[in-house]
Amino acid sequence: MSDPACRPGTAAAATVVIGLAVVLALRGVARSGGPESRGAGAPLLGARLRTWYRELLAPFEDELVARGVPADVLTYGQLVVSLLAGAAFATGCLFVAGWLTIFAGTLDVLDGGVARRSGEASARGALIDSVIDRYAEFAIFVGLGAFFGAGWMLLLVALAAFESQMVSYARARAEGLGLELHGGRAQRPERFVVLGFGGWVSSLVAHLGCPLLGRPTHVVLETAVVLLVVLSTWTASERVRTAAAALRGKERR
Amino acid sequence: MRPGGGKLRPVGFGLLMLGFGLRLDTTWQQVAWLLLALGTMLGLSGLAALARDRTRAASFVPPTTGG
Repeated sequence: MSDPACRPGTAAAATVVIGLAVVLALRGVARSGGPESRGAGAPLLGARLRTWYRELLAPFEDELVARGVPADVLTYGQLVVSLLAGAAFATGCLFVAGWLTIFAGTLDVLDGGVARRSGEASARGALIDSVIDRYAEFAIFVGLGAFFGAGWMLLLVALAAFESQMVSYARARAEGLGLELHGGRAQRPERFVVLGFGGWVSSLVAHLGCPLLGRPTHVVLETAVVLLVVLSTWTASERVRTAAAALRGKERR
Repeated sequence: MRPGGGKLRPVGFGLLMLGFGLRLDTTWQQVAWLLLALGTMLGLSGLAALARDRTRAASFVPPTTGG
């Protein structure tokens, strides 16, 4: 399936379309209401951007609820799409992989919304969703690891996968100890965006640069993985510190 | 009220991106061109519907109420 042909013209056209979409999106984000979230534990993707994306997805959510599509279908669909994203990364189809990663993230947003609106939200659903999320994320990292093969990048992908799981584990453990922990710079949507856009931009740069370089470069995807390691490590340690401080306060009382 | 073409724009963009992906990274060139054509059509229809709604909203004059 993979075709290493150099296509700078298509890459330029895709860049123009993405640029236009980003401009339209920024106008939409500026129009969407709500205060911008700031502060130490605020996610990198601000409240306005999240509100805009939910508004963009609202017609699809309405349709899914009206058709009675169960939230579980979207949860399992997310796993299937993530497996495909992993396979696309593994075979070097970086642009498709980036697209599938963002689509998987979108299904993750939709399943929660549909569950709440159709009255399906339950402890069982939350458990299934969390477990499937971990498998889905890991599938993408396995694909990335296969793409980079051996060497120091494989080590960084393994570290990114581990730290991403630690972000979720820190929250789950804190909740098990009776704490509410919602903060964190790089939560799941941020990780999807870094990996998805990393795949997109890496493929575009590889195709745009190939007439000059004569070989594909994946420096953007490598940077995205490094960024993911840094952000996930930061978020996990931020969560552990917050939870530890809260537990210390509880013990003193 | 949600703006017109609410579903068309994201679906069109999604198809365009998938089409670009297949064109750039795979040998599935016919499928890629089909998705690019379909995505362009839906995306432009969505943008046209959005522009229509904005023009309609801008030309709306609220009725004056007495007193």
